[in-house]
Amino acid sequence: MNTAEHDFADSLLHIFDNVLLTEEKALSKGYFADLSIAELHTLEAIGPYEARAMSETANRLGITTGTLTVAIDRLVKKGYVERNRDTKDRRVVRINLTRHGKLAYRMHSKFHTLLVKRIMEPLDPDRQEILAEMVMNIDRFITEQYRKYSDEENLKTRLDDSRRSIEDV
Amino acid sequence: MSEHVPEKQQQVDSDKKGNPRERISDESTKEKQKDRIYDDIIIMLTRMITVSPTDVSPETDILYDLGLDSLQVYELVVDLEDGYDIRLPDEDLDKIHTVQDVVDLVYKLSR
Repeated sequence: MNTAEHDFADSLLHIFDNVLLTEEKALSKGYFADLSIAELHTLEAIGPYEARAMSETANRLGITTGTLTVAIDRLVKKGYVERNRDTKDRRVVRINLTRHGKLAYRMHSKFHTLLVKRIMEPLDPDRQEILAEMVMNIDRFITEQYRKYSDEENLKTRLDDSRRSIEDV
Repeated sequence: MSEHVPEKQQQVDSDKKGNPRERISDESTKEKQKDRIYDDIIIMLTRMITVSPTDVSPETDILYDLGLDSLQVYELVVDLEDGYDIRLPDEDLDKIHTVQDVVDLVYKLSR
């Protein structure tokens, strides 16, 4: 890796760390200090409008419905999310944000809007397009890597489970 | 035959557009709806902050005159979205300054 590539990699990691740190600091000092960043991103995946199915939300977050159930229990207790049975199919439970949850969502998305505005505003439309394309490419690459590792982990868990069940027999 | 129906409808519509009485009626419905939205906003504001309804006018600036902070702006937004079944995106909120701006935006989105 040459110096320019090294600097670029450093900057990318810095951005990632600092965005998370800033979000965390803003949360802890704000009106929604009882929310963690992960919980806030769960609210984001549910969204402020339509009620969502658990599986749909779990998919969006890249977690299992079991993990999401635990997270939703906590968010229901804190008053950010409510659970309701689907009016058409009573077997399906849907989740949606409460008024408090919607406020947290809007305040958080304002941070994202400001961030994008600050980065994009000094650039002309052509450069904005190039930057957006580059960032989306980086996002695609990292998502692919994440999926690869998640798939490997899932496979390992399944193998461990089946090995354990053979040993039990 | 069926092709004549839209033509007739077009004729009725163009008559309605040209009829001053119909126009006045449309205008008065529009004004009534905007008045209702204005009243709702005043109720929401007086519940949210210590302000008398008589101290608020359509020209009142919600940030500078009423001193609403960003959370209070979003409280108003969320209540309007729920009450009128509309979506108020952040891009639209940037253009809002006065109470009348809010009324016009809610009216436009709820039609």
